[in-house]
Amino acid sequence: MSFRGANASSGMGVSEHSKSTYLELQRKKVFRYVIFKIDENRKEVVVEKTGGPSEGYDDFTDSLPEADCRYAVFDFDFVTSENCQKSKIFFIAWSPSVSRIRSKMLYATSKDRFRRELQGIHYEIQATDPTEMDLEVIRERVR
Amino acid sequence: MPELAETYACVPSTERGRGILISGDPKSNKVLYTNGRSVIILDLNNPLNVSVYGEHAYPATVARFSPNGEWIASADVYGTVRIWGAHNDHVLKKEFKVLSGRIDDLQWSPDGLRIVASGDGKGKSLVRAFMWDSGTNVGEFDGHSRRVMSCAFKPTRPFRIVTCGEDFLVNFYEGPPFKFKQSHRDHSNFVNCVRFSPDGNKFITVSSDKKGIIFEGKSGEKTGELSSEDPHKGSIYAVSWSPDGKQVLTVSADKTAKVWDISEDGNGKLKKTLTCSGSGGVDDMLVGCLWQNDHLVTVSLGGTITLFSASNLEKSPLQLSGHMKNIISLASLKSDPKYILSSSYDGLIVKWVQGLGYSGKLQRKENSQIKCFAASEEEIVTSGFDNKIWRISFHGDQFGDGDSIDIGSQPKDLSLAFLSPELALVTTDSGVVMLRGTKVASTINLGFAVTASVVAPDGSEAIVGGQDGKLHIFCITGDTLKQEAVLEKHRGAITVIRYSPDFSMFASGDANREAIVWDRVCREVKLKNMLYHTARINCLAWSLNSSMVATGSLDTCVIIYEVDKPASSRMTIKGAHLGGVYGLVFTDEYSVVSSGEDACVRVWKLTPQ
Repeated sequence: MSFRGANASSGMGVSEHSKSTYLELQRKKVFRYVIFKIDENRKEVVVEKTGGPSEGYDDFTDSLPEADCRYAVFDFDFVTSENCQKSKIFFIAWSPSVSRIRSKMLYATSKDRFRRELQGIHYEIQATDPTEMDLEVIRERVR
Repeated sequence: MPELAETYACVPSTERGRGILISGDPKSNKVLYTNGRSVIILDLNNPLNVSVYGEHAYPATVARFSPNGEWIASADVYGTVRIWGAHNDHVLKKEFKVLSGRIDDLQWSPDGLRIVASGDGKGKSLVRAFMWDSGTNVGEFDGHSRRVMSCAFKPTRPFRIVTCGEDFLVNFYEGPPFKFKQSHRDHSNFVNCVRFSPDGNKFITVSSDKKGIIFEGKSGEKTGELSSEDPHKGSIYAVSWSPDGKQVLTVSADKTAKVWDISEDGNGKLKKTLTCSGSGGVDDMLVGCLWQNDHLVTVSLGGTITLFSASNLEKSPLQLSGHMKNIISLASLKSDPKYILSSSYDGLIVKWVQGLGYSGKLQRKENSQIKCFAASEEEIVTSGFDNKIWRISFHGDQFGDGDSIDIGSQPKDLSLAFLSPELALVTTDSGVVMLRGTKVASTINLGFAVTASVVAPDGSEAIVGGQDGKLHIFCITGDTLKQEAVLEKHRGAITVIRYSPDFSMFASGDANREAIVWDRVCREVKLKNMLYHTARINCLAWSLNSSMVATGSLDTCVIIYEVDKPASSRMTIKGAHLGGVYGLVFTDEYSVVSSGEDACVRVWKLTPQ
């Protein structure tokens, strides 16, 4: 039996494409959001979908499956109370309570390893139903 | 955003055998009383203008305005005193743990710097006086061995405090710092209330031995008594002085209030006896009183607040009432949407008029507890905690005779088919009972644990929800039910199901805080993700044109969704009712009426987005 260290991690790799897509979102603002999926056959986190800068939060929520888990990164633009235009990157661990246990376990254990690859995330949210990643919740976090 | 339009307040919570203490602010004509964990500030000039303070963690017992009218000190059964601002947001100034048991009475000193509180201390201190801002003690109060029911602070210098209690004693303290001076044992039963006259020259104690004794204010010597011709025939629970100090009002368990003239030598002579009309019975016992400016306020055991005019004692009084306990359901009558009927679990049904407030209590011949309640044009159907369903006919303001139907087991939910009100569907633990008129048409065992149900307005269909979250749709043919479909989407026991008024949709809510709107014909989900509550959904209502659904929950919020828009664009009313929202109904396109555990009914106006 091999012990893989103190954390519970599942050994899923992170594909190069995922990393580079994230960097493009962060540095060049090419995307509004990126949705990542765990591909069990190839045992790694891959990009499922990206959204252009013109898309909004509703398009992003519509792209998330109702009964399966995903990881997502969203670039949120807003204006602060001092009238500054700001932009913060959110990492959302989408794990709906209606999804299968196996799916939830897999995504939960792989999250740490994946998160470590993404530098520059400002806020992290774990959402178990659509109300937990409502636009109001996002706005509250940046205040 | 929804705005509060009207509040129909609850009444003071009362207990048999004990008086309650209500107090007021002479400057603004407001009275203060408590119900459950809330302190209610009621404006006597406009009873619809009510403010509620719900920050106590334990049931509140008494509240008082400070002499300058800026602060209110309120106390609860745990022994804490909270001092908070009387206006605007009721900001808390300070909270003190004063006694180790229930606090029964509380008074400010006339300069607003000290507070004396008395109550039950479980053997230790039963009375404490302290500075209002720091909480430091200003005296030692020995002399009582049992619960101290009331205390009073002399309103003029030199300061004195008088306390009285269950040990039949009236104790007199001088100070500050307050020390025991003398004790009187003139009463032969519990001494319920003690009050100083506004000029401080006299104080009066009233007791369950039906007597009232007047003492001299500065020295504490007995000077006289309330005259014994035509005295009260029951325990006297409370007393209040007139603003000029020449008269007192006493209320008693003999269901009358008496106004006495107090002469200079300290004797009292009866001036007038006031009786309040009531249904007779225990509920008319008067337990609290207050003389505020021109108003004589008396409170009965049943919670009726009666206002007499002090200058014109012959004028018939104004009566206000409301609920004392959790209001479990609301109904509005289609014939006149301004009327709202509310029923609470203790069996009280009250009629309210929008814009006016309390309109009347509906007396039933049998006053049993109510668990489920449904109303149609001409009758109401109720069920309680026994196995009976009551159908009572209803005309205008009166109830006619009722019939009871025994259905064999305790009803859990009840629904009327509005277009053919003869048909009523009642669910019991494991099945449904169909009633036509006053006869049991059929009893059907469904085989699963049933929690909620609804029958279509025309009586053709019924939906039954189970403990497991499944919705079973049945078609009603004659007296039998034929199952047509089972819908599974809820993840908790179904708590409420309602058809939309245009019969095209139905909405269901469950104990897992989720609500779903379904299309009735194709039985598909129309609006989902209505998950914004944080506790079980208790009630649900459709707007009259079927465009909006409102859900009320144990988390005290009411959320209104529009069926055509996504669930995230919703209107939330936070903190609608302390303790949970239990009843909801729409009275017109833009008004929602909600009721809850705090025994209040609130009307909210929705501004269209």
